[in-house]
Amino acid sequence: MTDDLVTAGVDVGSSAVKVAVLRSPDDRSAEVLALRADRIRRRDLKKVIGEAYPLALEEAGVAAADVAYAASTGEGELVEFRRGHFYGMTTHARGAVFLLPAARAVLDVGALHARAMRIDARSRVLAYRMTSQCASGSGQFLENVARYLGVTLEDVGPLSCKARRPEPVSSICAVLAETDVINMVSRGIQTADILKGIHESMAGRYVKLLRAIGAEGDVLVTGGLAADAGLAEAMREKVAEDGLTMSVHTHPHSIYAGALGAALWGAFRHRALERRGASRPDAPHPAEPERSATVG
Amino acid sequence: MRVFLGIDLGSTTTKAVILDPEGEVLGHGITNSRSNYEVASRIAREEARVQARFGLVRAALARDPALAGAGERFLPLMERRFRLRQHLAQLERLRAALHEAADDPRHRDRRSELDGLVERIVDEMARRARKHFGGLAVRKSDFFRDLAAADFMQLAERESDPKGIGFEEITALFDKAILPVENSPGEVPLERRIGEALDDALETAGPSLAEGAARLRAAVEAARSILLDESATVGTGYGRQRLPFPKEMVRSEILCHGLGAHILFPGTRTVLDIGGQDTKAIQVDADGIVGSFQMNDRCAAGCGRYLGYIADEMNLGVHELGPLAEQSTCRVKINSTCTVFAGAELRERLSLGQRREDILAGLHRAIVLRAMSLLARSGGISEEFTFTGGVARNPAAVAALEELVRENYGERTLNISPESIYTGALGAAWFARRSERLAA
Repeated sequence: MTDDLVTAGVDVGSSAVKVAVLRSPDDRSAEVLALRADRIRRRDLKKVIGEAYPLALEEAGVAAADVAYAASTGEGELVEFRRGHFYGMTTHARGAVFLLPAARAVLDVGALHARAMRIDARSRVLAYRMTSQCASGSGQFLENVARYLGVTLEDVGPLSCKARRPEPVSSICAVLAETDVINMVSRGIQTADILKGIHESMAGRYVKLLRAIGAEGDVLVTGGLAADAGLAEAMREKVAEDGLTMSVHTHPHSIYAGALGAALWGAFRHRALERRGASRPDAPHPAEPERSATVG
Repeated sequence: MRVFLGIDLGSTTTKAVILDPEGEVLGHGITNSRSNYEVASRIAREEARVQARFGLVRAALARDPALAGAGERFLPLMERRFRLRQHLAQLERLRAALHEAADDPRHRDRRSELDGLVERIVDEMARRARKHFGGLAVRKSDFFRDLAAADFMQLAERESDPKGIGFEEITALFDKAILPVENSPGEVPLERRIGEALDDALETAGPSLAEGAARLRAAVEAARSILLDESATVGTGYGRQRLPFPKEMVRSEILCHGLGAHILFPGTRTVLDIGGQDTKAIQVDADGIVGSFQMNDRCAAGCGRYLGYIADEMNLGVHELGPLAEQSTCRVKINSTCTVFAGAELRERLSLGQRREDILAGLHRAIVLRAMSLLARSGGISEEFTFTGGVARNPAAVAALEELVRENYGERTLNISPESIYTGALGAAWFARRSERLAA
């Protein structure tokens, strides 16, 4: 039991802060002690992080001093207590394989960007593609629309799944599409049909992204939008329509993929440092984990 | 009195202008746009009628030499009482809507806690409202939605408890409750509140007015009873197709902005209108007739909404941005084009310690640069050049525009009216007035 490590991952996104606390006996397995997501909504980011982390540790039943390695990912500069930082792509890949070992592609849909990655069984990133410098069809866009419709985010998916006649979204701009939505409401179009129309346009973009990297087989959707059942359903419909050999999965913990990945890489790096007998702070980072990784 | 009404239903705000038979502006009205266009245009119209009424009251007080001095002091007080009454009435509607939103199966366990929280928050909002509408108060916005949202978010953060009722749960109530409050008109027509405001103001100022109070009341009542008969109404703007008007009473935004700019500044040949969700570059002739135009295409970058989004990100009112940007000493170059990304870039730069004044200056230049390319495609900038739309009220945008016009076209007369946001509605009101003349 001497090797039992407690590590934490803090994934700072542009819309929410996610924390994962893990206990791992070795590099191959881990037990989730606590998961926590806090939405930022224009609050002070440092404060949100500062509140979320101790609450996650409390839930996990560990003291801050027991955490062998706290890692940040995403916009992690503000995580002052971090020991190291991992790039978002590697943490999402690692988190995805942890949640769904069969996953060979990951679609990380966050507030601003969507990122498709093709990965191997050891969560190495083989190819990737991101959406362009335009927020059309992003999570932030969907969130704005939901707010305008007076629908809470958890209701978006179930409502969309009930749609009968999805309304195509004509505008592509994330900001102007909001006014399109207002227009639809004033034309008497059902909320469910509006949401489904938006999900279909997003699904079209994301499936295109996955095709571009040659994704096949099991695809895990991670990031905040993975919890949106309407988006997943629209993606499955699009995949079937295009006759692709992909199966789109989500996981109840998909939103924590980045935080989980960071905690897992943290454990991995901690052990690597221990083996090298380095108890000093690892200021100069070793090579990017996906290149030196031997996690299976 | 026969009056003519123009309504400009924009994506962000809905504006109304009332003209008298001579084409003089009697009143302006503005409100934030919302999904129910009929309510938005109805409120803008009522606001314009209220302003027209206050204008008539002002004229009546000015005509009575015995009231001249007292009237000048009394009228602003009366207007503040009017705004406060209006705000408090909406707060009560919000309170009811919040309780209704709390009445949801998912809140079953803590319904009473939530109800108590709503009471505390709305009571405090009402206390703050009295400050918002005090004598020297500077408000971030005049719209109920903005004022209420800012107060509510702040109070929600104070009331939230990460282990009990969270911030998000409270704000979700607001998001749900504000919609019915905005999309149904209040029960009391705005013009009737003028009477209530008169009573309030007389009660406050009464002793200092002494026997003048009776004359004041008589003058106000007389001005209130003047009939404002809307002979014709023309609608324009983004939502014009949805306005409850006959087709022949609808005009395109391009025509209305061209004519409106011509009415404000008869020498106008080039018009730049930066509105909420589109930017227009228009060339007009000596009669205000449109020759050519260019509009931006389906992207919020370069529109007023761009700045609106940034203001939301920074928790500021949109009219606070310009004055802040003017304090910049070292302008930052913004790399993102997309509005949402520019918002993220802003947050990132702020967290890296860059000054918000400098970032804002960069954002203002970015929006004007987009407009410059639109102007070039529409045929350049001829003498005189008129800048309209909500963004024309932003001093930093104006300064950036002046600089770029000088660099690219040399010296040009730049016209900006303090009422520039009403340009489209003014053009529409003139079309209404003309239609009446043609029919006669």
